[in-house]
Amino acid sequence: MSQKPQPSLSGFGLARFGLRGNEVILVLAIAVIVLLTLAIDSNRSYWFEGKQNVVEIARQTSLLGIFALGAMMVIISGGIDLSSGSMIAFSGTVIACTMIALQKGPLEGTLPEWLVVTIGILSGLFSGFLVGTLHAWLVTSIKLPPFVATLSTLVGLRSLARILCEFTTKTFEGGKKTQVPIEQAFFEWLRSPDQIWVWVAVFLVLAGITWIILGRTVLGRHVYAMGGNEQAARLSGIRTDKLKWFAYVFGAMTASLAGVFYITNEGISAPVNQGRGHELNAIAAAVVGGCGLQGGIGTVSGTILGALFLRVVIDAVAKIIKTGADIWEGLIVGCVVVIAVTFSQVNQVRSTSQRIFGGALGIWAIIILASTAALIVVSTQGLTYGGITYVACFVILFGVKVFEDKRATTN
Amino acid sequence: MPDHALISLKSITKEFPGVRALSDICFDVERGELHAICGENGAGKSTLMKILSGVIADYQGELWIDGQKVRFEGTRDAEKAGISIIHQELNLVEQLSIAANVFLGRELRTAIGLRDDRAMERQARELLSELECDVDPSCMAGSLRVGDQQLVEIAKALSLESRILIMDEPTSALTESEVERLYRVIARLRERGTTILYISHKMDEVFHLSDRITVLRDGTFVCTKSTNATNVAEVTHWMVGREIEAVESNVEHQPGERLLQIENLSLPWPGHARGFRLKDVSFDLHRGEILGIAGLMGAGRTELLESLFGATQEKPTGRMTLRGVPYSPRHPEDACRAGIALVTEDRKRLGLFASMNVAKNISVCALQEMTTGGFLSFAKERSAGDQMIHRLRIKTSGTAAMISSLSGGNQQKCIVARWLLTDPKILLLDDPTRGVDVGAKAELYKLIRTLCEEGLGVIVTSSELPELLTLSDRILVLSEGRMTDFMSRKDATQERIIAAATRGWQKSS
Repeated sequence: MSQKPQPSLSGFGLARFGLRGNEVILVLAIAVIVLLTLAIDSNRSYWFEGKQNVVEIARQTSLLGIFALGAMMVIISGGIDLSSGSMIAFSGTVIACTMIALQKGPLEGTLPEWLVVTIGILSGLFSGFLVGTLHAWLVTSIKLPPFVATLSTLVGLRSLARILCEFTTKTFEGGKKTQVPIEQAFFEWLRSPDQIWVWVAVFLVLAGITWIILGRTVLGRHVYAMGGNEQAARLSGIRTDKLKWFAYVFGAMTASLAGVFYITNEGISAPVNQGRGHELNAIAAAVVGGCGLQGGIGTVSGTILGALFLRVVIDAVAKIIKTGADIWEGLIVGCVVVIAVTFSQVNQVRSTSQRIFGGALGIWAIIILASTAALIVVSTQGLTYGGITYVACFVILFGVKVFEDKRATTN
Repeated sequence: MPDHALISLKSITKEFPGVRALSDICFDVERGELHAICGENGAGKSTLMKILSGVIADYQGELWIDGQKVRFEGTRDAEKAGISIIHQELNLVEQLSIAANVFLGRELRTAIGLRDDRAMERQARELLSELECDVDPSCMAGSLRVGDQQLVEIAKALSLESRILIMDEPTSALTESEVERLYRVIARLRERGTTILYISHKMDEVFHLSDRITVLRDGTFVCTKSTNATNVAEVTHWMVGREIEAVESNVEHQPGERLLQIENLSLPWPGHARGFRLKDVSFDLHRGEILGIAGLMGAGRTELLESLFGATQEKPTGRMTLRGVPYSPRHPEDACRAGIALVTEDRKRLGLFASMNVAKNISVCALQEMTTGGFLSFAKERSAGDQMIHRLRIKTSGTAAMISSLSGGNQQKCIVARWLLTDPKILLLDDPTRGVDVGAKAELYKLIRTLCEEGLGVIVTSSELPELLTLSDRILVLSEGRMTDFMSRKDATQERIIAAATRGWQKSS
């Protein structure tokens, strides 16, 4: 029996650059969104303030991308890391507190600032190594499910960061503080728009290293193998415990590296809310980029595009809505993940008898979707347009349902 | 008696993307008969049964049941039409009780609408006792042995009052005594007038049980014959489309140096009444020798191989000597380094990397040798893959094909290839021909012999005695974790092995 290799969707010549089907779609989607924003945005911001916009999107994408790569590594290895948002805050706090201790403690004035900053950043990264190791220990030795292990550090680390922050400020500055300003010259320098290349360079170098590890080393291949089938990997003589250690340390250390840029970007270390909820953005970027949460599947290029796609969408909404766009971020990320993952499944064959709005569940789904759309429109455009939106959505979606039902009965 | 057949398939065709799984299948199944469906893996038997049982709703052609044209949208429709299927991989919810499984989706209720567990348990007990299955219906389904789980599925079919029962390879995981019981259950079902569609590889079963045989090959219908009017050789010939060469079994091996010596190997089993999975097993293995391990399910065959491979949860005790050096592996990696390879029993769960292609599946154990300057060399990987494909005659379109596109036998060869690349001295094969079709089996036997002649020591387990008798130079028999017999091939008979395998440990201790 002759077997054909699986056909891959190669569209628009982009496949020549080594992109897979859903990555091609992502590139196109990013282009479409940029063009749409250009068309809809009344300030024509992308046209008149092109440079600022590129800098801002590059900054945000690097910020997200750095720890999305870590999230991806853990997901490919067959686990999940929910703690990266808290790890960002923790690493930022460790850096800030180390610098306070060095500059205001017994060594006050003896160390040059560059050394203080270097030691601070290294401590932050080392804290990532320790947390990743803790995760690996909890998962491999205590046998906790990765979800539980990293959920506990998600809540635990943020609290610990706060304790550390209050203790350090009380000891060395005389008064408890819940956040610490970051005023060292290095961070001021890094924050300037002229230095955006550093952000992008760090992100791309990390992406390059990750790509080499996953694509061209034995270690990377073993990570894919373990994520695809852990039992089979172990029985192939692969030390799965060590691999997990690597994956979780990689995940936590990328988050701690992101922490450096978070405190730079915001100018403060704020254990309470820095990076809060951002672990889900990282996971979303990886999933949009084609990672399978069951493990063993995912690419660096996909994750980079996933992160870029998320940031472009969020930015587009900010441009179109203009004020208070940050409150929309969660909603957008949620919708985008559903849509992107739905589209990536279109490649897989859907049985013709399968219906999107089948049965009572379908009717309720129509009501929920129409209500959500209406609620959004009411809150921005007022009651009248909201009502119109509700009716319009309902009619359209119900039309889809009727069409589907009809097709199902005629078959 | 109406003159039309009970089931009538008319030009059934099913296409998956890129593959035509079934084309233009037409045949009839008569009322009350046991109709065997034979074919190699990939012949389309399972796809056809999925259409009959409503799992696949999307096909061309017509299906007539009892003179009526039907098209099932789901398994529920098929159940209503009186069709039940016992899948090869059983479909029980292991965390629910037996009774809950029997009545899953059709739970009995009390007068006020609450679930009536007691009534379900009572009815389940009646059904099961009819099937000679003496288990407590309130036990969790997962705690049962495979043979009993299968009877629970049959009980479910009975409670649905199915008139058509499809059995997909029902004996593949059963012990000899459980097979006997299944035969009795089948006889009883036929007395009730149940029509049975019986899918199997095993010719002796098919000829023992069936009234008529339908053969499929590569998705097409070959023929339907009355069982009395044909014979094993003919059916095998139709299935394979070629003659299967008999494996030469009378070559005596000249065993070489001693590779492995095992003395008093025991494997504890904490929390179990018996306290051990293996007890005081001793044997040795020479170069160029095939050692067969016989035993029923749960006798400790897999555990023995896992102990040698360092893959057990608990640490085994006893003395192992590998080529004169003490050997105690704590992780499969240790075993690989020492030159031992294990081809696992459950290929899908413990062997394959389903999301990887053939080259990656073959190279995974020997990746260190496929690097240049610390980085993977895809060229080296590809050429190693190509070499193995050629050497083991793996049928695939190339190293870039997905492993899941290969047939079971060829997947198994890929896993053997994976280990050959590590240049092992000892090859452990745990039921290597499970789920592999007749033609591929013969090729695997040949391969094992060739490897052996090249100087490997091979330990092979099997649930099929003829296979062990064909392959092995010596046979070790396990029963409940203890070694109850050890014989060379010239003294071995099926009867002697079965007697040793069913001997309780009380007698042997």
